[in-house]
Amino acid sequence: MELTRRDFLKASIAASTAATVGIPVTKEAQAAPKDVEAGWQWDKGVCRFCGTGCGIMIATKDGRVVATKGDPDAPVNRGLNCIKGYFNGKILYGKDRLTKPLLRVNAKGEFDKKGHFVPVSWERAFDEMAKQFRRAYREKGPTGVAIFGSGQYTIPEGYTSAKLMKAGFRSNNIDPNARHCMASAVAAFIQTFGIDEPAGNYDDIEYTDTVVVWGANMAEMHPILWARVSDRRLSNDNVRIVNLSTFRNRCSDIADLEIIFKPNTDLAIQNYIAREIVKRDAVNWDFVKKHCVFATGPYDIGYGMRATDKYAFPKEKDTQAKQLRVKLDKYEAIAQRRKPGEIVEQKNAKSAGKHWLITFEDFKKAVEPYTLDFVAELAKGDPDESLEDFKKKLKQLADLYIDPKRKVCSYWTMGFNQHQRGTWVNEQCYMNHLLLGKQCQPGNGAFSLTGQPSACGTAREVGTFAHRLPADMVVFNKKHRDFAEKVWKLPTGYLNPKVGSHFTKIMRDLEDGSIKWAWVQVNNPWQNTANANHWIKAAREMDNFIVVSDSYPGISAKVADLVLPTAMIFEKWGLYGNAERRTQAWREQVPPPGEAKGDLWQTMEFAKRFKLKEFWGEQPVPGLKAEGFPDGKLPDVSKQAKAMGYTGEETLFDVLFGTEENKKKYRWPDPVAKGHDNHIAKEYGWFPEKAMWHEYVTFGRGHAHDLADFDVYYRDDVRGLRWPVVKGKDGQWHETLWRFNAKYDPYVKTGDFEFYGPALKKLPSGDLDKVTDPTKKSLAGKAKIFFRPYAAPAEQPDDEYDLWLSTGRVLEHWHSGTMTRRVPELHRAVPAALIYMHPADAEKRGLKRNDLARVISRRGEVKARVETRGRNRPPKGYIFVPWFDEAVYINKVTLDTTCPISKQEDFKKCAVKVVKA
Amino acid sequence: MNYSGIVVAFKPGELQAGIQALNALPGMEVYHVDERNSRAVVVQEAASVHDEVDGMKAIKELPHVAYAAMVYHYFAEDEQIYTAFPRELEEDACSADVCVPEVLRE
Ligand code: SF4
Repeated sequence: MELTRRDFLKASIAASTAATVGIPVTKEAQAAPKDVEAGWQWDKGVCRFCGTGCGIMIATKDGRVVATKGDPDAPVNRGLNCIKGYFNGKILYGKDRLTKPLLRVNAKGEFDKKGHFVPVSWERAFDEMAKQFRRAYREKGPTGVAIFGSGQYTIPEGYTSAKLMKAGFRSNNIDPNARHCMASAVAAFIQTFGIDEPAGNYDDIEYTDTVVVWGANMAEMHPILWARVSDRRLSNDNVRIVNLSTFRNRCSDIADLEIIFKPNTDLAIQNYIAREIVKRDAVNWDFVKKHCVFATGPYDIGYGMRATDKYAFPKEKDTQAKQLRVKLDKYEAIAQRRKPGEIVEQKNAKSAGKHWLITFEDFKKAVEPYTLDFVAELAKGDPDESLEDFKKKLKQLADLYIDPKRKVCSYWTMGFNQHQRGTWVNEQCYMNHLLLGKQCQPGNGAFSLTGQPSACGTAREVGTFAHRLPADMVVFNKKHRDFAEKVWKLPTGYLNPKVGSHFTKIMRDLEDGSIKWAWVQVNNPWQNTANANHWIKAAREMDNFIVVSDSYPGISAKVADLVLPTAMIFEKWGLYGNAERRTQAWREQVPPPGEAKGDLWQTMEFAKRFKLKEFWGEQPVPGLKAEGFPDGKLPDVSKQAKAMGYTGEETLFDVLFGTEENKKKYRWPDPVAKGHDNHIAKEYGWFPEKAMWHEYVTFGRGHAHDLADFDVYYRDDVRGLRWPVVKGKDGQWHETLWRFNAKYDPYVKTGDFEFYGPALKKLPSGDLDKVTDPTKKSLAGKAKIFFRPYAAPAEQPDDEYDLWLSTGRVLEHWHSGTMTRRVPELHRAVPAALIYMHPADAEKRGLKRNDLARVISRRGEVKARVETRGRNRPPKGYIFVPWFDEAVYINKVTLDTTCPISKQEDFKKCAVKVVKA
Repeated sequence: MNYSGIVVAFKPGELQAGIQALNALPGMEVYHVDERNSRAVVVQEAASVHDEVDGMKAIKELPHVAYAAMVYHYFAEDEQIYTAFPRELEEDACSADVCVPEVLRE
């Protein structure tokens, strides 16, 4: 039965209200007449959308999903779901599902980049794909091909794709859209703790007294976690919530303190807190002396843009020039202890991540300029607020952090991560928690939230990044490569030690012709990457071949040469890992429509098209320099491979996936299926998801990344487990709630806390500007407290482009909208992206609410309607435009600066003008 | 039209009577009930903010109610915004024989 818009609105409001105060809404479902549910089969699953990772129950009947509901047994959401979550089932049934491969051909039926799409068989699709792959590979070698991967891959899918690229094609050019979402968090985890992912978990919410939200609209983007936060606030008078943001959003509705700051000045606010901690003698010396060291790094690191203006549009050249040199403004000069107007060559753009130990005395000197007066003047984001009021708020914020009786949790997402100094600002949050010793304890900790359902589980833990191998291993570390070559049964020297191209660089490489073949899996790069006019040109006008696997025709499919119809979440088996290290699993519930197939199948079938001998010879890798490798080349390893018993005639599928061992050990059918199908295993006669899982877990076991056996996650009494999951002497699997804390973490060997992460734990020493003693000291078991300064954004409003633009999401839509816009209820709730702006700014431009306006930057423009009274209320001088709507292609307007350390793009700040359309 | 989501907590033993009384108020509809904590979620539909405030007062004046808090507030936006359906979603372009969505044909 179609709900009317009014019914839907009311039901949504009721659900949101219930969620906010923690009232379960499953009552209604329980009360539903029993005969409606006759013949339904219920099974557990995971929400397809955000990194919260809510458990859902899925009902199927006659090969269709007929209902979904919040899983009352799921500890994450306890039966609740947000609006999107309720429609998990409906996303499968949009009218324009892709069900056949589509190839661009000319009148003769041959592939033609300028041709039109026609349906082709899978056979023909893979033939053309392999032919084009070989053409690119022969011309360019392993760096000439790439995969745009995803934080929405299932774990076995991500593992399989990364393995095909790295252990098959000897290429590190696989990078996930999680680069746009999580990379700054990752870089900061590795630099601070030596190991990725949060120490705490969602239970912190019920233990803490103070929730500080930095650059995260949790009320819309992590609604179920926000429900837990609200519930905690409503049930406890002592609890305080602070919302720090560049504009007013729905988190402010329940916040006790709202701080609106100018873009990038979160860097200064955190240093103000650090200065207060030091000044008030509130450093937890017992904790800091035992468990921490102080560190810093270079400031002249650029903005992650191209170093040349050769490809820049004429109007972009002034912004691009900042990549090479920056003239310090008055605030940066004070913040960095230099002179205003000084020109700083950005000499460390390529070595942005290097860092060294400093003394506490130097740290203290570094934070000294961040006085309340200085920071308030710099950071105040709302011109209508008085400086005195703003100062009071900053002081309150510092008081909350410092109060020795208070537990504090800090949460953030894209405001910190999509930031030209994203790694720094993440590290600063740890700085304050570590200085206070408020970290890794129930209710105390800095916690990075994720946007995607398996940003942690797949992108990060599996390592589908250009520099990573599974379980935090990296391609440039010989020991890690040795380990991977052993697990993957490859000869020494097969794996490529040179870091591949990150997500934005793959786009740039397509634009300048250094990559000629790319495959998009489980994401929409042409909609999700900033400064898109460049990338559309790169796809359509350069000599290359773009393959897009998708379920619906998004912008990426439209610019592709070949489109592969792809199974969606409940049409395949899978596991996701959410933001609190919880790995959750589901079974295939319904068959994929038409000829659509799972990504795992697509990747493995493609591997069947290639023989080992095509790759084991010498391969060019421009710029490669690594111990044991000839310069610029991967060695010929055919002899060693032959000695291992390979003939070279094996396909990559035989070597990497369908090995005799896998076929024997992981047979299909398998009792874990409990009658559910597996469209891939059925065809193969063995169970690839399980085989890949068991191979994958060998990377992490014994390395503090332990995961349980495949079947454990499918048990009826399991609703996900938080890693490390270690088998105890009792034979049971035990999850880890707070890492680095001896009370909870089996990996802590000495003391009450131990930051045992192994990466980057030997450092030289120096002062605030440079290394003075190159001897490397070990800091095993310790975390780093970084000093990082304020730096101004690369592009700021000026006379012509006079407004800040930030992009982001809305509650009702997921990412680029390819799924949620197919759900009529969600589409009707929010049919189009709006320009959220201050009424006075609208009036100044002759605009009223609902007027059509143009948003124009140096790079491109879009049209959208103006909203002056909506859920987001920007201060004067600032606009917000969501990016889910392909008709409001806002990434044509945004700027592709990145954090120079993490290479994550900054979608939160660039300069635009708005005029009446 | 304005909509609001209100959480209402009832005095001990007053849950059922309270729900009945709430449903009897104009524009109010009870959606979810939390028996354990004696709370309910009610959605109010009102023509203006003024009416909404009056509605809140009416809830609080019920003898069964311990407290009521407006948790969710929604101004229904102008209907014309909702008439435009994206082109790719309107057309049933995926007919059985030639499954090429219109948007990929150009
Ligand atoms: S979108 Fe996120 S918060 Fe909403 S139900 Fe899904 S996982 Fe939960």
